Amino acid sequence: MGNTYLENSKLDPFLQRLRRFGALHGPTVSDAGVACFAPIDETSELRLDYGRTLIPPKKYLLPFREELLQFRDGSYRSGAPADLEVVLFGVHPCDLDGIAYLDRVFLSDPTDPGYAARRAGLTLVGISCEPDDYCFCTEAPGSAHCDIFLGACQGGYLLQAGTPRGDAICEAVQDLLARASSPPPRPAPRRAIAPQDPQLRYSGHPLWERFAELCLSCGACSVCCPTCYCFDVREYPRLSGGAGRLREWDNCLFKTHGEVAGANFRASRLERLRYRFQHKYCGFSPLQGTVSCVGCGRCKAACPVDIDLRELIPGAPDPEGGPS
Amino acid sequence: MRSLPDPHLPHPATLLERRQLSADTALFRVAPAPSALAALACFVPGQFVQLSVPGAGEVPISPADLPGEDGTLELCVRRVGHVTNLLHDALPGQSLGLRGPFGTGFPVREMAGSPVLLLAGGLGIAPLRSLLFHLLRHRDDFGEVTLMYGARQPELMLFRDELVALAAAGSLRLFLTVDFAPQQPAGDFSCAVGLLPDLLQGFRFDAARSFAAVCGPPALYRCLAGELQGAGVAPDRILLSLERRMRCGIGRCCHCAVGQLLCCTDGPVFRLSDLATTPEAL
Repeated sequence: MGNTYLENSKLDPFLQRLRRFGALHGPTVSDAGVACFAPIDETSELRLDYGRTLIPPKKYLLPFREELLQFRDGSYRSGAPADLEVVLFGVHPCDLDGIAYLDRVFLSDPTDPGYAARRAGLTLVGISCEPDDYCFCTEAPGSAHCDIFLGACQGGYLLQAGTPRGDAICEAVQDLLARASSPPPRPAPRRAIAPQDPQLRYSGHPLWERFAELCLSCGACSVCCPTCYCFDVREYPRLSGGAGRLREWDNCLFKTHGEVAGANFRASRLERLRYRFQHKYCGFSPLQGTVSCVGCGRCKAACPVDIDLRELIPGAPDPEGGPS
Repeated sequence: MRSLPDPHLPHPATLLERRQLSADTALFRVAPAPSALAALACFVPGQFVQLSVPGAGEVPISPADLPGEDGTLELCVRRVGHVTNLLHDALPGQSLGLRGPFGTGFPVREMAGSPVLLLAGGLGIAPLRSLLFHLLRHRDDFGEVTLMYGARQPELMLFRDELVALAAAGSLRLFLTVDFAPQQPAGDFSCAVGLLPDLLQGFRFDAARSFAAVCGPPALYRCLAGELQGAGVAPDRILLSLERRMRCGIGRCCHCAVGQLLCCTDGPVFRLSDLATTPEAL
């Protein structure tokens, strides 16, 4: 095993070296002052002390809007494939966990070709983080859901490759690394919240009514969730003939989500909140029993009326106290 | 370089003909391209396809019959939204798209040997018609076949002549009912006036051995589930074809969850017993 210690002073050349593997993206602050993942031209733009981005990295794999199909010359064709190589630097363990969940959804049979192409072109560089008041993940830093993970340590980072691509990166930066004095920690990942009994949805818990009264159906919790992926499909004719079929993020908090011709199966906010709860904490169909909440704290930070579904869950990590 | 097959990509299909069934509902005969035939050959009554109308989008439709010898499909569609409006305005020869079949159908193998009671409300006759035709084509494999079909008024009753002819030939027991009947022309096969649950109440059948297949508007399921259980039909033999708006058909878009089950992959045909812990299913 080669060197794995990256001194702080070598971070800049390390980042330049990463550009060989694709366009460098990472956490920065937009002109509007919002933390976001974006292309990094100058490494000084990086904000490695960021708490959480408003929009999670799912946008690299599931663009807000993408063309699924085109209709021309009498038949449908698949949309243009993604061929972008992106190195996403500085992803926190919770977001890496979120991507690992999306992989389970979109790379299972039948594989989603658009997602698979973008995923194949995405190199993930994880980084350890300092939890803030909104975080409730108890996942230990260093989880291996990425190509290479940077664990902060005295004066620098310990690198840990999780994939062959990560090994290749390590190989390519060997001259920047020093021998590590201690092996990187490899604690077993732990879940913040255990899978919930779906009957909690119908439990008549008084909090449901209170949440339903507060909820504005704004959908912020779902937009900013790293594992909310439900989508709508729309088709538009083109002035030049033919048509384009688009896939767009949808939102189960919106009233239209449960509509069918002549009825709505989730007309009330209570039903929509329960629907999201069930998807997040109980799982649908092949992922029954899989919790997709990764504890990033975005929904709590974004909710304008301070709804926290975890209050429903007995024994959930204390929403106010942060991780212990 | 998308080498993977694209599950979103419809097979080409062509509209062959349309037959108006009521003011807002028509039966469309659609010819899928040869590439679609292998998948469609496995079609089970109760499954659905995703029908594309170029420029408008895709809708889930449960075919009204199994694919014919020539592979063509009969789709019974009401003019109710953007996509179905364009379909209703389309002329024969129009290019369409087709994906599927998707989902679970009726458990026809398990139903063999048993009497089958079909209960259809309104447009719910469409998926049940494919089941009915399957039962009649394999008539000797099943017990008595009964269809109870309710519509709002006589002119909204779909396939009426066809069903009456089948009943006259002794293939099935047919009960028709309408919510309102201003006047019924003399000589027509007469409809009862009333709701399906009323019809069921006076019906004597071998409930313990029977399967019941139900398809209709949401309110119908709630009434009939209780009635059928009261009559003695086992909850795992009460088969409900549920309606949700599937966007993808492959368990991804998450619009169609019923409890923890997805209507597109675990349904759309569910057993009542599978929905016992899901109050909002019906």
